[in-house]
Amino acid sequence: MKFAKYGSITLITFVLFAGISIPLSPTPQNWLQFPVIPGLEEKARNILYHVPVAWTAVVAFLVSMYYGFRYLKTRDIDYDIKSVSAAGLGFLFCFLATITGALWAKFNWGSFWNWDPRETSIFVLLLIYGAYFALRSALETEEKRAALSAVYSMIAGITVPFFIFVMPRIMSGLHPGAKGDSEGAGPVVQMKMSPNMLVIFLLGLLGFTLLFIWLLNVRVRLARIEYERSTHHE
Amino acid sequence: MRHAMMDFLSQNQMYIVLMIVLLIWAGIVWYLTRIDKRLTHLENHSKKG
Repeated sequence: MKFAKYGSITLITFVLFAGISIPLSPTPQNWLQFPVIPGLEEKARNILYHVPVAWTAVVAFLVSMYYGFRYLKTRDIDYDIKSVSAAGLGFLFCFLATITGALWAKFNWGSFWNWDPRETSIFVLLLIYGAYFALRSALETEEKRAALSAVYSMIAGITVPFFIFVMPRIMSGLHPGAKGDSEGAGPVVQMKMSPNMLVIFLLGLLGFTLLFIWLLNVRVRLARIEYERSTHHE
Repeated sequence: MRHAMMDFLSQNQMYIVLMIVLLIWAGIVWYLTRIDKRLTHLENHSKKG
């Protein structure tokens, strides 16, 4: 866990520092310059923060699904704690991806919300996981809550790759990678990252994933103590 | 006022990046305060119990 803690702190600090301070240049000569992407300019830096956050939400939802599956196999309440903690963090990162994306969209596409396929799919994901927490709070008995939400988290988790990786690619939209994007036509920006930007981007993905692992660990440890105390006092 | 701010941001795009980073930071801080609150709750209970 120390690796996740110090790794995420180091990597995210580096990505913040490098992503903000490396200057843009129309003709990058070396590793300490980012290329100017027409239409994005300085806003291209957003990709180093907005995308890793969205990525972390996907990781968190899949982790939640995995622990839901483990709970159903073993009926060990610890997996339920891990599953709900991961889903909560996934919801947080999903929400952050939505609002950072909305702010970016305002300045690139003209409005905070455009119902682009990816915006629609993340909105549906927020609804799906919002319903997950509503379901949990509606169930009184512990076993029933754990079992039902484990099943729900598995069904919800199966939809995540479809909403994030499949649907936005088979429909035309504003995000890079949408159908027809290879033409680079219209408002769609052809996203070809320079090698130095790509390295920082990948370190960002890793850094935020490690941040998720660290936060999940803290949240699970807290929830375990809460659980032990609640059963102890009954 | 709102229009002026939008114009300023479109011309000074680094501030858009700053706002996006601050939004993510705010989300993480919010999460930390929530965990802090739950810990305080646990501590208060263990004092009484």
